[in-house]
Amino acid sequence: MKVTREELAAFSDGELDFERHVEVERAVAADPDLERAVAAHRALRARLSTHFAPILDEPVPERLRTLLQHKSSVIDFDKQRQSRSTTRFNAPRWGWIAGPALAASLILALLIPREIGSESYASGQVAAALDGQLVATQPADAPVRVMLSFRDRAGAYCRAYSGADQAGIACKDAHGWRMIEHFEDATAERGEYRQAGSGQAQLMMRAQDMASGSALNGGQELQARSKGWKPHS
Amino acid sequence: MLALLPRLRRFAIGLSRNPVDGDDLCQMTIERALSRRESYEPGTRLDSWMYRIMRNLWIDERRASRRRSQTFVSEEAGAFIGAAGAQDAAAELGDVDRAMASLPDDQRVAVLLVMVEGYTYREAAEIVGCPVGTLNSRLVRGRDALLARLGETV
Repeated sequence: MKVTREELAAFSDGELDFERHVEVERAVAADPDLERAVAAHRALRARLSTHFAPILDEPVPERLRTLLQHKSSVIDFDKQRQSRSTTRFNAPRWGWIAGPALAASLILALLIPREIGSESYASGQVAAALDGQLVATQPADAPVRVMLSFRDRAGAYCRAYSGADQAGIACKDAHGWRMIEHFEDATAERGEYRQAGSGQAQLMMRAQDMASGSALNGGQELQARSKGWKPHS
Repeated sequence: MLALLPRLRRFAIGLSRNPVDGDDLCQMTIERALSRRESYEPGTRLDSWMYRIMRNLWIDERRASRRRSQTFVSEEAGAFIGAAGAQDAAAELGDVDRAMASLPDDQRVAVLLVMVEGYTYREAAEIVGCPVGTLNSRLVRGRDALLARLGETV
């Protein structure tokens, strides 16, 4: 049986389909030259991967990390409400308000900020959550949870929210909830890219930058909702 | 994306043959990925998408630098100068680096993706944007050249 060079390499890499693999295996066992060639292929692979492996352990240059930390982020979500004692959220000033909504989670999502037009409005579940839910009373398993509410410098009500695969900040105007920041899940395979969350802190910092004064408390939220989140009515 | 950085650096340094150019390539890749993130299809592999961007940037850069050298000298002389430059640089490198540097670009990409990054032929072919058979034959030619340079008993 003839084994091509391509097949021999593919055999060494375990890339042949099962049937062919068995055939080549038999041919290799019967031919010392082929056996040597397979050993050489495997040794080459081992040598190359050993050669480049140390790069993985080198610290990543700061400029590369910074690039990502400014523009993309990682946010982790709570799948189930957990006790505050396990909260990992650690944004300094507003943590106590956002904490319950951001309680430590097992599911971590890599969220990438989306370009949003200046006239993008929340719709569907997000809009419904922003209109109706209060931080203090919303169900723990709501598909979209409001993390906190505040007023921006113009006086408009703004709310930060998070869901299973998205998060952001939206502010109420005459047309609805205009999206200021919007992140979407870009994790292809969650298991492979689990990361500690820093994005929630980033979202909170953005909220703090936008806000005038502190986050609304439960009573202020209730009042704002009763007025349809309109600033002067 | 942060978790991918060490692997992206490894691929970049493998392509560029030195850490300085590798990190530049890495930076360009991240910037390109962030500016084109809408072209990423959710549910597909983020790592493959980033590798594809990096591979394309590197190929473009290689073509551009060849064109630049051809603007000033004849093609033949350009190739000669390129080879001489590569040899100087290669003198600083170890055996594996020297052998890798001798490979044509397409073969180098195939070897790195499969033998260093650990992608299957199919995944590597998708990153490169070529048929699996093409990837396989580039890989074999690259491997044979490496074995010849490094000795059969590596």
